[in-house]
Amino acid sequence: MLRFLFLIPFFPFAGFAALTLGGRRLGRHAAAVGAGSVGLSALASLALAAGFLISPPPGYVYTQSLWTWMKVGGFSPGISLYLDALSLVMVLVVSVVSFLIHVYSGGFMSRGEGRRFFAYMNLFVGFMLTLVLAGNLVLLYLGWEGVGLCSYLLIGFWYRDAANGRAARKAFIVTRVGDTSMAIALFLLFAKLGTLEIQPLLKLAASHWQAGSGLAVAASLLLLGGALGKSAQLPLQTWLPDAMAGPTPVSALIHAATMVTAGVYLIARTNVLFSLAPQVRLLVAIIGAATLLLAGFSALTQRDIKRVLAYSTISQIGYMFLALGVGAWSAAIFHFMTHAFFKALLFLAAGVVIKGLAEEHDMFRMGGLRRQLPLAFWTFLAGAASLSALPLVTAGFYSKDLILWDAWSSASGSHWLWAAGLAGAFLTSIYTFRMVFLIFFGASRSRVGSRPGFIMQAPLVVLAALSLVGGFIEAPGAPFLSGFLHHALPVFQQAGGSAAVEFAFALISAAASLAGIYLAYHLFLRRPARAAALAASSSGRLLHRWWYSGWGFDWFYDRVFVMPYAWLARVSKSDPLDLIFAGASRLAAGAGRLFGRTQTGRTRWYAAGIAAGAIVVLALAVNW
Amino acid sequence: MSIQDFIAVLPLVALATAAVMIMLAITFYRSHLLTLAITLAGLAAAVALLPLAARQTPRQVTALLTIDGYALFFTGVILAATFAVAIFSYVYLRRRTGQHDELYLLLLLAALGAAVLAASSHFASLFLGLELLSSSLFVLIAYPRGRINIEAGIKYLILASVSTAFLLFGMALIYDQTGTMEFGRLAVIAGNTDGAGLLTAGLGLLAVGLGFKLALVPFHMWTPDVYQGAPAPITAFVATVSKVGVFALALRFFSEVGIHPHAHLFLLFTLIAVASMLGGNLLALLQNNVKRMLAYSSIAHLGYLLVAFLASGPLAVTAVAFYLSAYTATTLGAFGVIAVAPGHSGAEAETLQHYRGLFWRRPWLAAVFAAMLFSLAGIPLTAGFIGKFYLLDAGVGSSLWLLVFSLVAGSGISLYYYLRLVVVMYMRPHREGAREGADAFPWTGSLTLTLLMGVIFWLGVYPAPFIDMIERTARLK
Repeated sequence: MLRFLFLIPFFPFAGFAALTLGGRRLGRHAAAVGAGSVGLSALASLALAAGFLISPPPGYVYTQSLWTWMKVGGFSPGISLYLDALSLVMVLVVSVVSFLIHVYSGGFMSRGEGRRFFAYMNLFVGFMLTLVLAGNLVLLYLGWEGVGLCSYLLIGFWYRDAANGRAARKAFIVTRVGDTSMAIALFLLFAKLGTLEIQPLLKLAASHWQAGSGLAVAASLLLLGGALGKSAQLPLQTWLPDAMAGPTPVSALIHAATMVTAGVYLIARTNVLFSLAPQVRLLVAIIGAATLLLAGFSALTQRDIKRVLAYSTISQIGYMFLALGVGAWSAAIFHFMTHAFFKALLFLAAGVVIKGLAEEHDMFRMGGLRRQLPLAFWTFLAGAASLSALPLVTAGFYSKDLILWDAWSSASGSHWLWAAGLAGAFLTSIYTFRMVFLIFFGASRSRVGSRPGFIMQAPLVVLAALSLVGGFIEAPGAPFLSGFLHHALPVFQQAGGSAAVEFAFALISAAASLAGIYLAYHLFLRRPARAAALAASSSGRLLHRWWYSGWGFDWFYDRVFVMPYAWLARVSKSDPLDLIFAGASRLAAGAGRLFGRTQTGRTRWYAAGIAAGAIVVLALAVNW
Repeated sequence: MSIQDFIAVLPLVALATAAVMIMLAITFYRSHLLTLAITLAGLAAAVALLPLAARQTPRQVTALLTIDGYALFFTGVILAATFAVAIFSYVYLRRRTGQHDELYLLLLLAALGAAVLAASSHFASLFLGLELLSSSLFVLIAYPRGRINIEAGIKYLILASVSTAFLLFGMALIYDQTGTMEFGRLAVIAGNTDGAGLLTAGLGLLAVGLGFKLALVPFHMWTPDVYQGAPAPITAFVATVSKVGVFALALRFFSEVGIHPHAHLFLLFTLIAVASMLGGNLLALLQNNVKRMLAYSSIAHLGYLLVAFLASGPLAVTAVAFYLSAYTATTLGAFGVIAVAPGHSGAEAETLQHYRGLFWRRPWLAAVFAAMLFSLAGIPLTAGFIGKFYLLDAGVGSSLWLLVFSLVAGSGISLYYYLRLVVVMYMRPHREGAREGADAFPWTGSLTLTLLMGVIFWLGVYPAPFIDMIERTARLK
């Protein structure tokens, strides 16, 4: 059973190959091929998961070595897949959610662009599955760069609009900063430990490096740099809101459910290194807490529905980082899973709205869509409830509450972290229900042009169901998921707190969520004038502008990095240093021209050349 | 000659038999397709006989031939390359009028000569193989009998004769000093004499003769003219099969005699290698004729190969065998594209202009060509990358820093002209919709090109089994 593991990433790659090479006739069935290949992959991973649970492999680990890429010196990166509890959960979520989004895309994308779209999407899924299944960091890095490439291609999918191209470039360049850091991490790990196979590497690190030693800190800091870029956390978060330029299913799949959580996976996968560097782990938690707050405030002020969701994604991944930082590994993965469900759902439902209103993104021009798009409304509501952690009935409640409780009670946690998380939860429910009330309630401001067909509705319903009941996999008292994940991740170190205290904390976070919803109702539905007045006051205007622009990070980076760099490039267009390179190319061209003179085409000259060469040879051989 | 000896040389016999059969077939019934079929059948039979012959290895068949894993490996490469050349020739000649059958006959004989070289362990068989190869090539190059073909053929004839004179004189000097023509005994005697002047001079002159065949600087000047003048499939043959045969021989000879004790000889080869790597790439840099460009680039590639040639150790042979195989597949693919690419009214598509916008007219052909150029440039995931990696590894392992540096610098220069061609292929054509020479070519051509591209990627992504095979078979003692 498990030996079919390689099929999981194989199907999407095969789909990509078929769509790329298959010619026009196949292109007409692009959606079927694209969704079908990912569907096969999802089926394979479901079957594999069943096999894994029924008869677990020894040690709950299965390794499949496909081949060795090359063998030089001590460097022999294998193309090997590694399946344990962690990668199994990741694979399941990635393949199932991807499949649902592919199905939805079949209805969302227009016919003419389907082939290119599904080819990119399949390529993305293949790389993402490679990333999570990789048994060594080289293969993981291949998947890492591969998903980055696909993200670039898909953000700029509608490349005729120059702004989309700019957004794609921005995403690529900003994440590249993180990727560079990660590449250096790999070099460092290989230089110091001599292997890049993840499991032996972690064992070596644990036995060779002291806790808190310089190397462990450096390695985990560099890896964290990579994770920050990919997962859009402070200070590399600026690319994600712009990435919404891509088609909505892309935002749902890549920039919400899967790729952006790769950083979370990376840290969870290399948790041993981070446990060796407690300072860095604390940094992870602080970055998570700061990011979730900053992004929450920004989400509060956006007008574009997709940008709200983008900031919300940044904020929710902040929760996952917070959980990783306090050592609540399985809580982070749990939140990754529920987030994948409800955020994909929110994007897809938003896609229905956007398509229905002919590419309208501004929430203030929507309203009262409850009756016109009932299915989109109910599913969006389910997703929104889950995102704002509505108590008991939603998956998001269980995962977020677990993170908050762990942040308080962890041996490496702190009350401040918990307070930040709680404030974030409050913010989350305000901005989430702000969206719900602005879009679906109030006066109707526009007419819906097109309604979704069955093919777009079915994934919405499935995801809505998952967003609501998906949390019971880790219900209090029956922690099935973390019990399973403990085969791969270290157990959470609790410092104190009894069941009663935990219950009290659950009540507090439930109250925060409900209070946020009520405030949103009050400000955006009952008394919209008051919200407007608040925003119009002088300090309100300032804050609004500041938050709206994402805390001015773009402005700041523009001035500190982009403009000086552009200036430097401009003034050094003809600097003396360039002469070396220009000179080298001119020298090469000149030498080429000079040598070219010898090619006269005359046989006697050629023969003379041979004779001259022979004389040199003889002189060397005899007269030395 | 025992029955085992006979089995060991069966692949060579199969080639000769196929040549004879073509000769007989022509007298009775001239058919292009039939001749091609006999050629391919002969080559396939020879390949099929390789495992049989491999059971007898290593075996000294008379004093002339050593049939060992090394010889059989390179014979396999030669046979496979000739197979592809035969198919390209068929595609190429079908478009042109005239009698085509003799070309295949000569092709088989030339391949036989190259295979003899790979197995040769005696000056007599060396000379026999070399002349069998060269004499066939004189005619093959001039085969279509156009003005430019004949010019190229005559140039090759004259210059090859000059170089052969040097070669023979070198052999004579060596024989004079050692009294033998067998490599093995010769090496023993040469090892005992302390690098006497005449012996080194003989080895140097031998190097001149072989250097000419390998088109190494400064014996390279014939290359662009001949590559350009020969019909494209024959150019592919000159660039691959003849190089493989001669290089296999040179490596065997010089590793038996040993270069390292002869310091001047080592210096000499180092200079030749550096000059070839830099000179070849610099000459290719500004070239607008694709065939000439590839000719110069082949000079550079042979220079790269000398890096492993000069590195000692078992890795050197592996590196050479892998690089030669990768280079052969890639070069065949590149010239194969030229052979089947649509040109102006029967002429070949030679200049850069012909390839402008090829992607928009013939996407598949352009993709194959781009893959071949990437492999020549040594971009990862292609065979060229792994090959170059092995060369560098061998060079670094023996601390040949000057050579390693030249290899890197040469590769850097080469990127320009390889990538320029790729860029040109993907540019929009000048006149939209002007379909020049859009005549289709048979599926066999596309299939062969596709297979070659598969080989390039296979060797680039999953080279382990092939390297294992090289390490098992292609070993020198």
